[in-house]
Amino acid sequence: MKPRRLPTALLFLAPNLLGFLVFTLVPVGLSLAGSFTNWSLRPAVPLHFAGWDNYARLFQDRDFYFYLYNTFYLMLALPFSIAGALLLAVLLHGRFSFARPRRAPVLAAASAAIALGSAAVLALTGSPNLAYVVGALGLIAALGIRFGPVAYRTVFYLPYFTAGAATIILWSQLYNPNFGLINQGLRHLAAFGGWHVAGPGWLTSTRSLLGFLPWPAHFNNGGFGLGAREAIMLMGVWGAVGGNNMILFLAGLANVPPELHEAAEIDGAGAWARFRHVTWPQLAPTTFFVVVISVIGGLQGGFEQARLMTFGGPAGATTTLSYYIYQQGFERLDLGYGSAIAWVLFVLVFGLTLLQWRHGARDGTD
Amino acid sequence: MARDFRTLLKHLLMVFLAIAMVLPFLWMVGASLKPNAEIAHPSLVPEHAQPVNYAIVLQRAPDPHTGRILELDFPKWYFNSFFVAAWVTSLQVMTSALAAFAFSRLTWRGRDTVFLLYLGTMMIPSLVLMLPNYQVMVRLGLVNSYSGLILPMAFSAFGTFLLRQFMIVVPRSYDEAAEMDGAGPLQVFLDVILPLTRPGLITLAILTFLGNFQSFFWPLVMVKDEYLRTLPIGLLLFQTDYGQQTELIMAATVMNIVPLIVLFVVMQKQLVSGIQLGGIKG
Repeated sequence: MKPRRLPTALLFLAPNLLGFLVFTLVPVGLSLAGSFTNWSLRPAVPLHFAGWDNYARLFQDRDFYFYLYNTFYLMLALPFSIAGALLLAVLLHGRFSFARPRRAPVLAAASAAIALGSAAVLALTGSPNLAYVVGALGLIAALGIRFGPVAYRTVFYLPYFTAGAATIILWSQLYNPNFGLINQGLRHLAAFGGWHVAGPGWLTSTRSLLGFLPWPAHFNNGGFGLGAREAIMLMGVWGAVGGNNMILFLAGLANVPPELHEAAEIDGAGAWARFRHVTWPQLAPTTFFVVVISVIGGLQGGFEQARLMTFGGPAGATTTLSYYIYQQGFERLDLGYGSAIAWVLFVLVFGLTLLQWRHGARDGTD
Repeated sequence: MARDFRTLLKHLLMVFLAIAMVLPFLWMVGASLKPNAEIAHPSLVPEHAQPVNYAIVLQRAPDPHTGRILELDFPKWYFNSFFVAAWVTSLQVMTSALAAFAFSRLTWRGRDTVFLLYLGTMMIPSLVLMLPNYQVMVRLGLVNSYSGLILPMAFSAFGTFLLRQFMIVVPRSYDEAAEMDGAGPLQVFLDVILPLTRPGLITLAILTFLGNFQSFFWPLVMVKDEYLRTLPIGLLLFQTDYGQQTELIMAATVMNIVPLIVLFVVMQKQLVSGIQLGGIKG
């Protein structure tokens, strides 16, 4: 330890520490203090200490429980996102090279030529849609054969990389009950079987897959079906399966010693047994990290979707805790109550993370 | 041969998965080229392609419905997003690198305690901070200004943490050799540590740029005036004002997303290895 380094260290730290104080530490203090007052942006309301009033109000707020339920319900998409990311990573991790390496460029050129040719033919014979999709298929195939898994990884990562207001607005068009891609696709599929279906109402519907359960009246339950919440979950899975989770799983897979697989193979273990008994335990730290990060994100999620797609509706079905905090703080200008909700959310995040940590530590010693 | 056949099947599976992922983007491009009358038509490809949609969004052509130029400034939104993200990125990488150096290469009393405090604040949801942070900005008089968009984002515990992970693995002997030659801490930082942690710096820069280019919440509460609108805020208002003109909204969306795709394809190698390095050690 060289204490004489302290002044130097402070110089290096100064810019970050200053910002940290002003934009993190002070707001944390303000928020905690504010949650015990009637802090409001309305000029007519004088500030006074309110004790635990905001928290007491929260526990009697029926909307709070509804939005808490929504938040957890949307998080049911997380297992699918994580399992999907793992599946894609396992697929990408496999062998994509041909027995003779020289074949790859030839095959790539051939598939590109076939795809472009058939696209041109299809376009001329009057199925431009098919031509469009076949052309895209051929392009991806050519890139995949030429560059290997990196090309597929790039495509899978794109929804995650571009995620934001633009993709959310794009999806709200895809979910349009009449002309959106999704319902039109469903209608086409149904037409093959000779059925006529209207398709789910998606963002306009309060139905949900747990809608058959007897929820309290203020949950505005629309019954069993696909509704706004499922729409947001589906979009979330699309955006997450190929994202950072997949990248982290790929790194985890690369670190599994190949000898373990070889030993298991010699012992006669099939592909599933090798995954179950070699890959899965070896991936445990990565899986744990991914689950913890996803849960933290999930509890705080839903704001952008609600603000850009649904305004929290229909009938509050897509209002999550994060959107509720925004509504209280910036629409009803009730900062005290908004802060109290935020702190309850913090306790929730912290508690769940701690729980997973203890669980993870216990599993690790098995 | 049999193995090559299996490889081919695997490629086929991946191509179909990839198509499922890009289908929304394919629809987006198709819809952005349609005339308004064709939007409700169940076709991916427009029958009469109308590239002028892009010119309408860029205010180079009048809207055929009203005969007027749209009342928005798309290039300005673009500039704002770019400008803010570039400033935040350079400031954040700089402040994070300096702090990470102090946390990894210098020894001083209380270092680990202060670092734990930093890490602890990463656990606090941004939602807890957003209401009071807005009040801080009101007090500082920074609401509705570029500084208000940039400054709060310029300091990051995550960035400090990420860069510290990269710096801590550099062998001590490097600093010691430089110090032996008479280099001060600043020189060690600039000439030894920064060049050696380039992958970390690039990763943080890409992630920060992307996050701020796309950032939605903070500009939503900060921006009041037209001239400060960033792309996500502009898109939100576009959707509110011209909600029926899906083709124009999609043209704007394409123009938002395409630069990101280009950025990603160019930078992906560094980004992926950076995420993996930072993630494993984190």
